[in-house]
Amino acid sequence: MFRSGCLRWWVAAAFAFILMFASSGMQAQQTRTREYNIKAVFLYNFTQFVEWPEEAFANNTAPFVVGILGEDPFRSVIDVTVAGEKVKEHPIIVRRYSNIKDLSTCHILFISETEAQKFLRSPAATKNKYMLTVSDAAGFANSGGMIRFVMQENKIKLQINPTVAKTAELNISSKLLRLADIVE
Amino acid sequence: MNFNVANPLRLYQNALALLPCIGCSTVRFFCWRIILLSSWLLTDQGLFAQQQDSLSPQQLKMLSVEELLEIEVSLVSRSPQKLASAPSSVQVISGDDIRHSGASNLAEALRLVSNLQVAQQRSNAWIIGSRGFNAPFSNKLLVMIDGRTVYTPLFAGVFWDIQNVLLEDVEKIEVVSGPGGALWGANAVNGLINVVTKKTSATQGLYASVQAGTFVKDQASLRWGGKLGKKVTYKLYGQHYDRNSTKNPDGSDFQDEWRNTQGGFKIDWEGNKSDNYTVQGDYYGGTVKTGDNYSDFNGQNVLARWRREISDSSDLMFQIYYDRYYKSDAPGMTSDEIKTIDLDFQYRFPLAKRHTISTGAGYRRVKDEFISTNAFIAILPSTKNLDLLTAFIQDEISLSQSLKLSLGTKLINNVYTGMEWQPGIRFAWSINNKNSMWASVTRAVRTPSRVDVDYFSPAVPQPPTAFSIVGGPNFRSEKVLAYELGHRLVSGSRSTFSIATFYNVYSDVYSLEPKSGTLTYEVKNGSEARAWGCEFSGSYQLLDTWKLRGGYSYFDIKLKSLSSQALDPSHLSNDVNNQVMLQSITQLPAGLHLDVIARYLDYLPATLATSTVPGYFTFDARLAYTMKFLELAVVGQNLYSKDHTEFDELNIPRSVYAKLTLRL
Repeated sequence: MFRSGCLRWWVAAAFAFILMFASSGMQAQQTRTREYNIKAVFLYNFTQFVEWPEEAFANNTAPFVVGILGEDPFRSVIDVTVAGEKVKEHPIIVRRYSNIKDLSTCHILFISETEAQKFLRSPAATKNKYMLTVSDAAGFANSGGMIRFVMQENKIKLQINPTVAKTAELNISSKLLRLADIVE
Repeated sequence: MNFNVANPLRLYQNALALLPCIGCSTVRFFCWRIILLSSWLLTDQGLFAQQQDSLSPQQLKMLSVEELLEIEVSLVSRSPQKLASAPSSVQVISGDDIRHSGASNLAEALRLVSNLQVAQQRSNAWIIGSRGFNAPFSNKLLVMIDGRTVYTPLFAGVFWDIQNVLLEDVEKIEVVSGPGGALWGANAVNGLINVVTKKTSATQGLYASVQAGTFVKDQASLRWGGKLGKKVTYKLYGQHYDRNSTKNPDGSDFQDEWRNTQGGFKIDWEGNKSDNYTVQGDYYGGTVKTGDNYSDFNGQNVLARWRREISDSSDLMFQIYYDRYYKSDAPGMTSDEIKTIDLDFQYRFPLAKRHTISTGAGYRRVKDEFISTNAFIAILPSTKNLDLLTAFIQDEISLSQSLKLSLGTKLINNVYTGMEWQPGIRFAWSINNKNSMWASVTRAVRTPSRVDVDYFSPAVPQPPTAFSIVGGPNFRSEKVLAYELGHRLVSGSRSTFSIATFYNVYSDVYSLEPKSGTLTYEVKNGSEARAWGCEFSGSYQLLDTWKLRGGYSYFDIKLKSLSSQALDPSHLSNDVNNQVMLQSITQLPAGLHLDVIARYLDYLPATLATSTVPGYFTFDARLAYTMKFLELAVVGQNLYSKDHTEFDELNIPRSVYAKLTLRL
């Protein structure tokens, strides 16, 4: 038999459920944490699977710059990930750019989804040698970008366009290419 | 116990610790804590997310790229994406939703669909319906498992006990409510249930599980998936279970315990780029205790399918299957053997700029052999061939970027009533990338089945002065004109919410009426009905580690006979007015998983065939611990009360089981 006392609690629980729907926007940011923790480590790993020639640096100890263009989904996680790490003798640092015209020398550039189209149309996309471009944006690796993170069956997969990387005089190791979807 | 709001994680753990306790006050307590917890989450979730996230950058950096590529980003899976674009009332439950639920067979898994009314009638019989007409001979759904139609032409309903799949390998179950969404197949008057198992490329390796418990006494499953060369993958599986008896109202055993053993295979061949071939089959046999005796069932099926994807908007499919089942009611009563051969062809292609044409045709040959060895019931003639020809064509027209119009019709040619046509019109409007609406008007028919036309009770035709029930040789198809209106909100990949409303007008509905001046009641089309309802459903990923899904459905029907002499038709539609379902899937730290499903169903009124069933609330809970390739789960089902009734008067007991799973 159903006891009426519990109906109240059940209704209250259902009500709380509906409330949660109403506030879905508030959650969006927090729930992305895990995804971008993993992506930050991918960015770090790229430093080991891509070869930057010495010409890409001003001197032997100049920093290796990881740039983030547009809205920053990593927050402090990217800073924690690369803290104290080096590429050869180059300490890794993070720089954030809100606009394409603010861009300075960087070795890996992560471009937010909202900026990706603008970036690919800009001269920065082709002009900058030694800059590995990475984004989540749809079609990024097919239209002038180098590496795209793709969500597939709840996992992060890589799409890589080695031709574009070669134009920027970057050599992506065959090991990474084997694990990625190659696009031309 | 004290509330410690200052330490929310503690509060959460307290709430979880309470779960295994049963009883009203505890459930009430638990509900309160859930509410408190939710309101806290809405205001200050950040801390929680950090604490739950066990993978710190330092830990992640220890992993190789291969390992990074294999990390599940979200620990509980998201809703299937296609839902957003389907312009009809569709609920999709993913394989993960099912595996987290503790459901141990298909019928139990369907309880996760918030607008299906699922009632377990006996240990081996379930009544599952949508939008009304729930009854032991519930007959208005099209049910398919991997493209094979499984409702029986005996009464156009489903024997759920013989529909078994390895739940581990289920990719998803789609439930389309209302007639409009089902383009393909017959009998989809009130909807379609489509069970899809995974491709064998996704079920590679070893899966083994054993479980033991009180209601599901034991279940053992084994699957092996492997490769043959580069392009062919296969799987073999076997499963056995024993399920316990339901209870009489006085608490004694109803003695309907049963068991089933099933094995099967599936082979997928990814031909060249666009061609896929599938061959699959199942073989099963089981025994049901029927009082002091035992009766048997068994069956086999094999299916082959070829699919070619020509482009995003064009594909074609050809499939053929053979299916046989035998089921005996009780020794010395009746038995039925049905053999089906079915061929289906579908083709979809774009035409001009704005049109997408879908078309198809099918042929089904069914041979039914119903043997009666008792004096009460017979189906005469005992053997009959039931040929069915189907065809459909639909044009989906893009009126603008956001507005689509679909026009189409299905045609069915059946042995009882000849040609029937089922046209439909549907608008789909994508308001923006989050909101969409649909509206449709569809006509559908439920063609006659053996029990409508060839039924005799008693088994030997009686004189007009003696009471008897006979099938109607002139029984026509039951018809529905269905009006639907719905709205869906998809917010990113984390939440979906939809509202579906409908108004259905049924005519030529089944009735039992005396032939004038006799006591011979004949099956006729003398009832009509109007049904309406409203269904809310949604799923919401609160955190990467916590997902909620559920829904509320309201339904009502007015059913009446045109003749004053007809038997009261209310027994045709024994439906709840209100039902609520909520599933919570939670990933806890330390490899633990906690899943809870709660549901409430309104009362069922008494009919001339059944007694009143009180409304009931109950919940299932599953606590699982995963360690590498091993998973240990403890599941409690129907925990709220000692037992409860879902249909007529037999009791379904509270039950528990433990399950050990190995995935390699």
